[in-house]
Amino acid sequence: MIPDTFFSQISRTFVYRLVLFGCILIPVATISYKLYWLNFPISDLIPTVSYQMDVSMQVDGHGGDINTSTFLPISDSRQTIQNESNNSGVFSLSLLSEGINRRAQWNADSVQGRHTIRYSYSVLGKHVRYEIPGDLSIPASYPRELDKYLKEESGIQVNDPLIEKKINYLFPEGKPNIFDGVYTIHKHLQNEFNNKNFSGFTDALTALKLGEASCNGKGRLFVALARKLNLPARLVGGFVMEPGTKRTSHQWVEIYINGYWVPFDTINNHFAELPAHYLTLYYGDMVLFKHTSNVNFQYFFKTLKRLVPQQDAQSKLEATPFNLTNLYSLFERIGISQNLLKIILMIPFGALVTVIFRNVIGLETFGTFLPALIAAASRETGLLWGLIGFVIIILTASWIRKFLDWIHLLHSPKMAIMLTMVVSLMLLMTVAGVNAGLFELAHVTLFPIAILAITAERFSILEAEQGWAKVSKITLSTLFVICACYVVMDSLFLQSLVLAFPEVLLILVGLNLWLGKWVGMRLSELFRFRKLIFNPEVKA
Amino acid sequence: MKKIRKLISTFQKMRQAQNHVLSMNRRNLEYVYPNNSRCNFPIADNKLETKAYLRSLSIPMPVTHRVYDSFFSLRKVESDLQNLNDFVIKPAQGSGGGGILVIVENKGSELITAGGRIVTLQNLRTHMSDVIFGIYSNGLSDQVIVESRLVQHKDMDILSPSGLTDLRVIVHQNTPVMAMLRIPTSLSDGKANLHQGAMGAGIDMENGNISHAIHNNVEITAHIDSGHHLIGRQVPYWAESIAIAETVAYAVPLKYLGIDIALTESGPVLLELNVRPGIAIQNANDLGLYAALRSKAGAA
Repeated sequence: MIPDTFFSQISRTFVYRLVLFGCILIPVATISYKLYWLNFPISDLIPTVSYQMDVSMQVDGHGGDINTSTFLPISDSRQTIQNESNNSGVFSLSLLSEGINRRAQWNADSVQGRHTIRYSYSVLGKHVRYEIPGDLSIPASYPRELDKYLKEESGIQVNDPLIEKKINYLFPEGKPNIFDGVYTIHKHLQNEFNNKNFSGFTDALTALKLGEASCNGKGRLFVALARKLNLPARLVGGFVMEPGTKRTSHQWVEIYINGYWVPFDTINNHFAELPAHYLTLYYGDMVLFKHTSNVNFQYFFKTLKRLVPQQDAQSKLEATPFNLTNLYSLFERIGISQNLLKIILMIPFGALVTVIFRNVIGLETFGTFLPALIAAASRETGLLWGLIGFVIIILTASWIRKFLDWIHLLHSPKMAIMLTMVVSLMLLMTVAGVNAGLFELAHVTLFPIAILAITAERFSILEAEQGWAKVSKITLSTLFVICACYVVMDSLFLQSLVLAFPEVLLILVGLNLWLGKWVGMRLSELFRFRKLIFNPEVKA
Repeated sequence: MKKIRKLISTFQKMRQAQNHVLSMNRRNLEYVYPNNSRCNFPIADNKLETKAYLRSLSIPMPVTHRVYDSFFSLRKVESDLQNLNDFVIKPAQGSGGGGILVIVENKGSELITAGGRIVTLQNLRTHMSDVIFGIYSNGLSDQVIVESRLVQHKDMDILSPSGLTDLRVIVHQNTPVMAMLRIPTSLSDGKANLHQGAMGAGIDMENGNISHAIHNNVEITAHIDSGHHLIGRQVPYWAESIAIAETVAYAVPLKYLGIDIALTESGPVLLELNVRPGIAIQNANDLGLYAALRSKAGAA
């Protein structure tokens, strides 16, 4: 035992203060260096929307070969496609480049029974908007590679007299400049043509004759009218990403203006602009899905919307001594994804939340780190299923422990059985979750197994010693603290912050150092000793 | 405006409270950790070690009849205990009164507990093996102590016919600072634990009289079961009890302690030591422990 002499007491306080200041000062210094000297914009830390797209194609095989294909999106200045994954079972995937489009084709021989092909990817979209100068006149000629965007196609009857008649009707004073041209066509199609919810093929002339059309009919008519004005134009096939499941794709048009392909959508009235939730799949007058006939082909798009840290936030630091992107790619190489890394980096925040609840507010919880770890694991299951899974596992495991106690076993073998039971329970819940279609529940396998076994043990001891009232109270506070941890750990701002500035973790150490010396009243103690505290006379 | 002033005064009271009420954080950081070295904790946590440590001091303690530390040794329980008419079974490392079984009459194959329940020898053996398996000591294997049953002072028996009342004395740097009686009730099932429904009676350190009492954190003046008046009642053998507390405090290397003493007809008997004595004693006394600790430290 070290004697607590005056000197050692002084030096202990000194070292404590030194470490505490270091923990605050170092991160503050490096972060301000990055922010001011390296010009790292803090606005990059605000999270952005990402869409998780899931394309499912279902076929019924009758023994023959089956081919099916669709277009896949390509990353460009407006959209970023990531995390592509193919799940096609017996079907083999080949990716083909068709001009500027990317086609995915799945083939399988002698297919029997029902099969589902699933292809998924995540999309980061940007909202774009173009300003068209009012004084640009329509060029007389274009480079040769744009020729095909001026020609007649089977559904885009540029040279039909009706198209010419429409142009003369829209522009009685002769050839307009570019802005007036596209503006007049856009307004006319948007306002004078009814939107029709019809999923079949409509060519430009039909749309024109009917005075109403779905997206593809309006699109073809727009392209035909633009080409007639000598403006290169093309159809764009894509998808409007909204959370949920749907079968309808969408089409809009792009017109080549002053070196840019400018988008127009006359169904949803987007003039020279495209919102961030529009996903481009292909260019030209194409069919989105092709497949062998008589296979009862079904498809649908499933869209999940979520917030993610901004991509650029880390890459902006690339050219600096704080080259974190390299560090993260190092983790990526050994199989730790940035997503997993993010969860790991958030656990200290959860631990701090738990410490605050225990030492400042005065809620009793099972274990110091259990709430943070359950909250981390609940990121995959969702908070509700995380809490339900936790309660089911703890209750069941504590019943098993009661039984093991009753038959009398030594501690270590007993704990090993508990661990096995927790593992089996998780697998059971996963199977049950998948079978019941509750895929969120299936992710309980990410729970901290050993800690759950220990918690179940604590739970049943407490129940035996102090009764259900006490154990329920602690369980409820634990669930409450798990929720609090989840909310904090789910904060995208904090996630982006810690990914861009991992030194923030030192600040957490500093806060814990400070809390570790905090001798104030816990909130629960203010209530417990309320009579002593709020009595008129001060007791001594 | 009035509300704001009230809010400010409430806040000021909360700040002042920090100067007299001992918070859990402060108890740990400023009293338990600096005064008690971790390696000495077993002296308090294990009742057998407590007895061994204090053996030479002739402090009255329950007589240890037997100690069982293995399943195997429990086979001889019947013959071991046949000459004992009454005894107490305790886990060596139990806490909060868990696992304690009081036998008032031994009829050979059947035994009668303090609560009037009849247990078979087989029940007794099962209970003892539960203790060894650590059910009452956080899953660590434990030892069973069979020791003499204490018959409490008649003044105390009036207050708690269903269980042993104990006197808890907080000692800091060898000085008794605060004390309370923990009186079992019908609600606490014979246990002297405040959060299990026992009454807590604060003691005036000067004269050993009950000065204030609580039950479930609510102030009371009379026994909740029998209606016996509590306030002003004298603790028997008060001076002797304080003397035992001081002797123990000097003897052990633990300098912030809760010392639990039973009051028997023949005098006070040391029950156990606690290195992390609870802070509910402040409500029992209606006094802030932090202020009391500081004034005693200043006087010493």
